[in-house]
This record gives sequence, structure tokens and C-alpha cells, in this order.
Amino acid sequence: MSAITIEKLFLRYGEQEVLRGIDLEIPENVCFAIMGPSGCGKSSLLKVLNRLVEMNHNVKISGDVKLFGNSIFKMDLTKLRRQVGMVFQIPNPFPHMSIYDNITYAVKCNGIAKKKEELDKIVEWALKKAALFDEVKDRLKMRANQLSGGQMQRLCIARALALKPRVMLMDEPTANLDPISADKIEDLITELKNEYTIVMVTHSPGQAARVSDFVAFLYMGRVIEVGKTEEVFENPKNELTERYVTGRIG
Amino acid sequence: MYRRLKDDLFVLFAFASALLAILPIFHILFSVFYNGIPVLAKYGVEFLSGTLPPPNKAGGGVFPAIYGSLTMIVLSLMLGIPLGVFAGVFIAEYPSSSISKAARTVLVIILEFPTILVGLFVMAVMVIPMGRFSAIAGAFALTIVMLPYVATYTEQAIRSVPQHYKEVGFALGLNRFRIVFSITLRIAKKVFITGLLIGMAKVSGETAPLIFTAGNVWRSTGALNEPAGAIPLWIYYLVQQPYSNYHEIAWGAAVVLLAIFLVIFLSARLMVRS
Repeated sequence: MSAITIEKLFLRYGEQEVLRGIDLEIPENVCFAIMGPSGCGKSSLLKVLNRLVEMNHNVKISGDVKLFGNSIFKMDLTKLRRQVGMVFQIPNPFPHMSIYDNITYAVKCNGIAKKKEELDKIVEWALKKAALFDEVKDRLKMRANQLSGGQMQRLCIARALALKPRVMLMDEPTANLDPISADKIEDLITELKNEYTIVMVTHSPGQAARVSDFVAFLYMGRVIEVGKTEEVFENPKNELTERYVTGRIG
Repeated sequence: MYRRLKDDLFVLFAFASALLAILPIFHILFSVFYNGIPVLAKYGVEFLSGTLPPPNKAGGGVFPAIYGSLTMIVLSLMLGIPLGVFAGVFIAEYPSSSISKAARTVLVIILEFPTILVGLFVMAVMVIPMGRFSAIAGAFALTIVMLPYVATYTEQAIRSVPQHYKEVGFALGLNRFRIVFSITLRIAKKVFITGLLIGMAKVSGETAPLIFTAGNVWRSTGALNEPAGAIPLWIYYLVQQPYSNYHEIAWGAAVVLLAIFLVIFLSARLMVRS
């Protein structure tokens, strides 16, 4: 079964049409990259998947998105967001909380665990998953804003993983990081896709080629081409895709 | 050469303006302490615990005023902080709703409103129906004075936090209440606490809204539904009396008022820092 099925998805902000009929199948436990130039609608598409886009009051959506067979628009929002974690472009751990609290806060609010021993376990597990544990294990009570950018982003990944989601959305997760930190995040994504379905937005074709199994090329709110990453990059069927992956448009 | 001179002149001018702006504050602080501290030393502890003496008689104190001020401040904070914070949260979270547009306009009007008129308003809606001045009416007037400060700063605090923190809150399945009170307002706690602080400082020094509401008494029973004294009211009335010991007491009361103000100010500062 596909993890996510997007059917005839249209989205507009007021009069401005952003997504113009998207149909996509995202298989389970793969890294699925959505690439395209700025303003093509890729971030909006990602934010439909956990319905974060609805924070914007004048947004209008039609079509359907199914998560493991169930329409997300009929699902309880909290339930949906526990299944679909998200990592943002700007590393944004809560700056006023410690590393530990950053991970446990939403865990407690969502009623997943309350006792200290359980929380300790979750923190260790999530930090290990995010390849951050060894770097911070002695200073879990330290304020999260004292970490480096790359560490902050991995903390954000740990925070999202702690809710035990099945899908992880990543909105240009390395766009604000130095190359070495970006590299670590990419390695981590490659690691995580064995257990999670990762949907990643990127404006860099190189990144899509390096980490994704499948890729969709989005242009002006439409899917121009979608397929296995190697095929799309080696044998693009559409001329626009070819021009994008070879860096002639972007 | 000429450009150097122009530059130096500008710096000098900026420095002089800054000095001119802060001088009055130091002058006030200096004259209050200079005239007031000897009074406190002379009257001793009785100044805080005693009541107003007869004219030209030694001793006495300002206890009813301190009591009245503290009860009215505490009451107005208990009422004004929750109301102001929720109003600010509402305006910031639902900026396009018509209630929040109306609330914003009303708050701006109250902010600019002469506080004596707030007193008159409360007199009309509370004092006259109740048939007497009271501490509650005074506290209510102070609440109205404080509301716009608390609400506006709360709104600004929420707006100052980058949108992506709110987004991540929602993405983690948190509800709006938690996002506002555990994340946004905590991140922006400097602005938020500054608002509370300015609100408190504002009400602790207000005189005008109390004249028609608290009424002022020299001896109070302590009941909330009866007229109350207040430090600024006492200062206002005492300096108009022809007796020299009343003038002394007014200076002493000014030190007490300033001390209350400084305690609020410093404790809030410390809270922000820790």
C-alpha cells in the first residue's frame, strides 16, 4: 500500500492558484523528494500533508489526500499530526527549553508518556535515532539554543521522531546549514528512510539525486515528471525536467 | 576638517540631548530621597504602621494609604492581568476577526484617555449605584487604566515571535492554548513581562482615577466595599494642607511609593533575566 496518495489536489491562496491538480503516489519507507524552483508550490504541497497549510485563513483546497488509505481531511488533526512529523527549513527547537524538554514537551502534551523513566527512554531513543545522543548526552538540561545549527536541526528531527510518526515531512532541511552539517542530515535521512516514509522538499536537484529513491519535479503548481530518482535524472522524459536537473532552469 | 567638526558637533548634540532626557528622572529621584529619607528616619517604623497625626503634632504614619494602595493594586492586577493577557492573545491570534479589530481600537482609545475620565466613568457605573466610594471601585478604575498596556504588550510579544515556532507547535500536535502560553509567550517573555511591569507601575502611581472612586480616607476599616486611602491620593491631599508635618509626611510617603515601584520594577527585571 502507498503511504500517501494525493488525488486531484488543487490549492489556492485567495485568488492565487498554487497547486493545479496534483496526483502522486508515495510508497511506504522510501525517501520521496519533491523538487522544483522557488515558488513552484512544493512547500505548500508538503504542508497540505499535515494540514499545516490551513493555518493560512484564506486557503482553499480541493481534491483528496489519503494517509495509509484514510483521507487526512476527515481525520482528527492531532491524530494526523502525530502520524506525520515535520522538520522545517529553519532549525527551530524551542529556544527557551532544554534539549530534554524540547523532546518531551509534545510527548507529554499528546499523552504518550508521563513518567520520568518513560520520558528518559524516549529522549535517549529519539536522540540516538537522530544521531545526536553522543554529542549531547551529558548536557540534556542545556538550553537548546546553545547547540550548533546542525545539532539544532537534528534535535528537531529527534523531537518529531519522539511522537513515533510513520511519515516525516522535511521542508528543505539543509537549506540553512553549512555543508558538513548538511551532509550529516543527508546521511541521517538515508538511515531513517528504512523505517519511515520521508517526504522531502528541496530546491537542489543534487540533493534529490543523492538522498531520494523517488522524485517528483514540480513546476508552476503541476507535477511535470515523477518516477524513480535514477530514471528521472538519467532519462528525463520531459524537456523541462531535463533543463531543471542539468541546471539550466532553477 | 569641516566634516570632522560636523561629526563631533553631532555626537555632542546627541550626548547633550540624552543627558537632558534623563536629568529630570535623576532630579526627581534625588529630591524624593533627599526630602523623604530624613522623614522616614525621624518617624521610624511608626511611619509604616501608624495613622495620620493631628496637624502640627509629631509622630504618626501612612499605614491606611499603604494598605489601600496595596489592596487596590493587587485587586486590579488580579482582574487586569488575565483580562489584558487574554485580550492581547485574542487580538494577536485572530487579527482579522471583527471583535479583535474593535478591541484594538478601544484599547488604543483607553490608552490615550485622560485617566480622570476613567475615574468619572467608574463613578457613574459603580460608585453611584453602590452609594459610596470603595476600594473595589478604585481597583476597577485602575484595571481599566492597566488593561491596554497589558493587552498591547501581550499582542506585541506574540507577534514578535517568528511564525515558524507556531508552525512547529501545530506540527507537533499542540493546541493553540499551549502554543501561546507555553511557547510563544515564553519565547517573548521579555516583551510580555515588560508589559505586565508597565501595567503594574502605571497603576501603582495613578492618582486621578482614584479621586472619584476610592474616595480617600485617613482612617480605613479595611473593608473592600468601603472608601480607601492610597499613597498618591494622600500625597496629593497632604501637600495642599497648611501644616508642615503633613508636608513632611507627604515626602515620606513619596519615598514609600517609589520603593513599591522599585520593588515591582526590580523583581520583574530579575524574573526576565533568570
